[in-house]
Amino acid sequence: MTTDVKMFSSEHGKSRKNFISRFFDFIGTDNLSLMIALFLLILFVTVFSSWVGLSGGNRFFTWQNLMNSLAQAIVIVGLLALGETVVALAGAMDISVGSIASCGSVVSTSVLVGTGAIGSLGIFPQNSTFWAIVAGVLIGMIAGFINGFIVTKLHVNATVATLGTMAAFAGAAFLLAPDGKPIGVVTQQSFTWLAQGRLWQDSAIPAMNGSKWTGIPVLTVILVVVAIIMHVLMRYTTFGRNVYAIGGNATAARLAGINITSMRIRMFMISGAISGLAGVLLASRTTSGNPINGQGLEMQAITAVYLGGASTNGGKGTIFGTIMAVLIVGVLNNGMNLLGFNTFVQKVALGMLLVAAVAISQYRIIQSEKARKKVEK
Amino acid sequence: MPIQEKENISTAVLTCETGGLPPGSLQIKNVSKAFPNVQALNNVSLDIKAGEILAFVGENGAGKSTLLKIINGDYQLDSGELILDGQPVKFANPYEAHAAGIRVIYQEPEIIPGVDVAENIWVGELPKKFGFIDRQKMNQVVKDNLEEYGFASVVPAHLMGDQLSAAQRQLVEIMRALKSDVKVLALDEPTSSLSDEEVDRLFTLVRKLRDNGIAIIYVSHRINEILKLCDRVAILRDGELITIRPASELSEMEIVHLMVGRELSDVFVRNRVSSGKEMLRVENLHSRWHKDISFHIKTGEVVGFAGLVGAGRTELAKVLFGEYQKNRGKIFLDGEEITVRNSNDAITKGIGFSPEDRKREGLILIRSVLENVSMVIIKKLSRFGFVNRTKERLQAVKFVDRLDVRTPSLEQEVGKLSGGNQQKVVLARWLAAQPKLLILDEPTRGIDVGAKAEIYKLIDQLANSGLAIMFISSELPEILGLSDRIYVMQNGHITGELSGEEATEEKILKLAMAEDLSDTKIAEPRINETEPSE
Repeated sequence: MTTDVKMFSSEHGKSRKNFISRFFDFIGTDNLSLMIALFLLILFVTVFSSWVGLSGGNRFFTWQNLMNSLAQAIVIVGLLALGETVVALAGAMDISVGSIASCGSVVSTSVLVGTGAIGSLGIFPQNSTFWAIVAGVLIGMIAGFINGFIVTKLHVNATVATLGTMAAFAGAAFLLAPDGKPIGVVTQQSFTWLAQGRLWQDSAIPAMNGSKWTGIPVLTVILVVVAIIMHVLMRYTTFGRNVYAIGGNATAARLAGINITSMRIRMFMISGAISGLAGVLLASRTTSGNPINGQGLEMQAITAVYLGGASTNGGKGTIFGTIMAVLIVGVLNNGMNLLGFNTFVQKVALGMLLVAAVAISQYRIIQSEKARKKVEK
Repeated sequence: MPIQEKENISTAVLTCETGGLPPGSLQIKNVSKAFPNVQALNNVSLDIKAGEILAFVGENGAGKSTLLKIINGDYQLDSGELILDGQPVKFANPYEAHAAGIRVIYQEPEIIPGVDVAENIWVGELPKKFGFIDRQKMNQVVKDNLEEYGFASVVPAHLMGDQLSAAQRQLVEIMRALKSDVKVLALDEPTSSLSDEEVDRLFTLVRKLRDNGIAIIYVSHRINEILKLCDRVAILRDGELITIRPASELSEMEIVHLMVGRELSDVFVRNRVSSGKEMLRVENLHSRWHKDISFHIKTGEVVGFAGLVGAGRTELAKVLFGEYQKNRGKIFLDGEEITVRNSNDAITKGIGFSPEDRKREGLILIRSVLENVSMVIIKKLSRFGFVNRTKERLQAVKFVDRLDVRTPSLEQEVGKLSGGNQQKVVLARWLAAQPKLLILDEPTRGIDVGAKAEIYKLIDQLANSGLAIMFISSELPEILGLSDRIYVMQNGHITGELSGEEATEEKILKLAMAEDLSDTKIAEPRINETEPSE
């Protein structure tokens, strides 16, 4: 038996795997299928579409399209989906993220120009992009705390609770705006730079299909930074571990000493904070703190989360998967734009994608349960 | 001796087949049923004659409930057949069994709280007139039935479901069964929550039903009741029918002896030296489930907690672990009085708890072995919230090796391991946490014999290393084989304490099934139990 033990230790104490297998460990098999799906989708948009008589696919691989359209379009939904992933991994759902984004939009711009319910209080200095961002994120955190409080202390099912707060926060966004009207911020150049600015414009990157390199949008960089932070949070911290544990089996997690109430409140606050940030960026992009800014965005975010492999029961899924799914949703929308489908068709396609994503998630759960039963027999 | 008896039975069954049974009898022929890692029933044959009361007795896990569930269509049999009235029958679900005239009445009947007795009795087949419920007919039939069996005063037909006592619920369930044409009626532990007077009433009813030609199966742990009521007794052990005899030929001692039956094998190791100082002391603990519980556990000691299902042992463990609240009483750990508010609190104070249902309460089945093992110690392995993954792996490997958990890798999903290895993962988690007191609730449930022996060895090693172990088990051989001392619980009390040397299965069973020693009874210990919110 001692030899067995030794073999086991050397095998698992220090893993010496080659690069490729480590790469696949990092991605995971679920995410590999997402990468293949993305690849096929791009292939369809760029190559197959012309075979069925659709034109426009050749414009996909241009810097103009990739950096101006695609990279910017995915940011807001991407951020919302990142926050939503944390909640989904713990086995819950937050459908108020779009409304929280609206609040973030209104509050950040109202602080920026000193109008509206919160801006006129004068808590934060005016004309400061930094404090505008802080205010937007903070209102998101407060909204998230309210969600967490309702779920944990009032014992309301998370979906129902956030359905209620979705309506409430959407209304609150109007109440926070002066007379319910959008707050214009066109003149605030450092604020609009968040959405319109470019980084690494001067890099000597060659043109692609005749379209010149114009830099990476600041927006996209923000998404990447937040995604990395969330990846680290979920993978390398006790917080992340506990989220997975609660999603996997809340009773067992509680009996292992995890404070479920505090964890749930914290994860809703994280989701809220990121949604608030998304709202700030929305305001910057549209140059206005409009209370309807975030409406309907939760739908796309939730689609991305479940498409990204998060289990509807919780406990399974990765940040990487969510980002892949955000890309798929982005390419789908972008490709359909290029190929000339109108927005109604896009909505139908997105709805079907959500159903397909959840169906696949359920299929995975059933498969893994079957595999488990097999082992037992 | 058991083998010889089994031969007798099979010949007995053969004669029964040739000799005609009265119409309405149920024959069970060569029925087997296996669950993962457990052979719940092995080739059981017996017949329940119309107009007799047949008792099923056996220890927990002997196969009584499985047999009832097969008769009721809850479970499908692996092999063998059921013959009702001379016709082979197969039930895909309980409805088909009901339709054929078989009714099993479980310990805790399903009563709809918001409707009255009459409607509860008619539920599913409400009488209709012009598409509306025919209340008049409904009430009349119920009233007639209740009067016929002498229960009109006991169960007023207008009471609502949630106003009913345990005994009344039982009667409503029986009335439900009688309303339709019932041939076989099975009662599972019907008296466990009844007072003496109610038991007498129930017996009168059951005898009346027998005289009306119904075949009655009566499952109970209370042997004196069985001898009083039943015509024949079938004794089950480890999924096999040991014997079936007229009740008049059996004594209480004989039944207990036949139920227990086996010799202690040498799977139990006891290498540990004598025990040390007192680690846990509980004084006069009262809770919703418990009355005046006092006991102690020393370091290096394995203390067994025996008792029937529902005696309050799991609840006691959960009170100690902070899951449930105590009302009164004191708990001392390592000489200091402690109050445990929740599981986190318990862990910090040095208590570990391996729950009875490892899949529902113990493990995160869809996560890895690594994550499951390091769950409790993850805070200690972290700095500023970041997990030290090298340390984590080293710790996990250490305990996975020490417990010899057989897994292809630390990344393996725990749900894909066998039951024994899953249990070892739970134990590894608690060993890593280095508790002072470890509570093991049914640690060998549902795992195979080989894995059981390994767990026994491990428990001995743990005690030897100075841990105080509270060992809850419903399997008497392992309680006897492992424990230094044994507390026997019944109905929320500790009814006795036995030293390892003096304890025998007979003594434990007697204490576990003793008639209530005190007049004060904890009512309905398991009904309406609400768990704290997650």
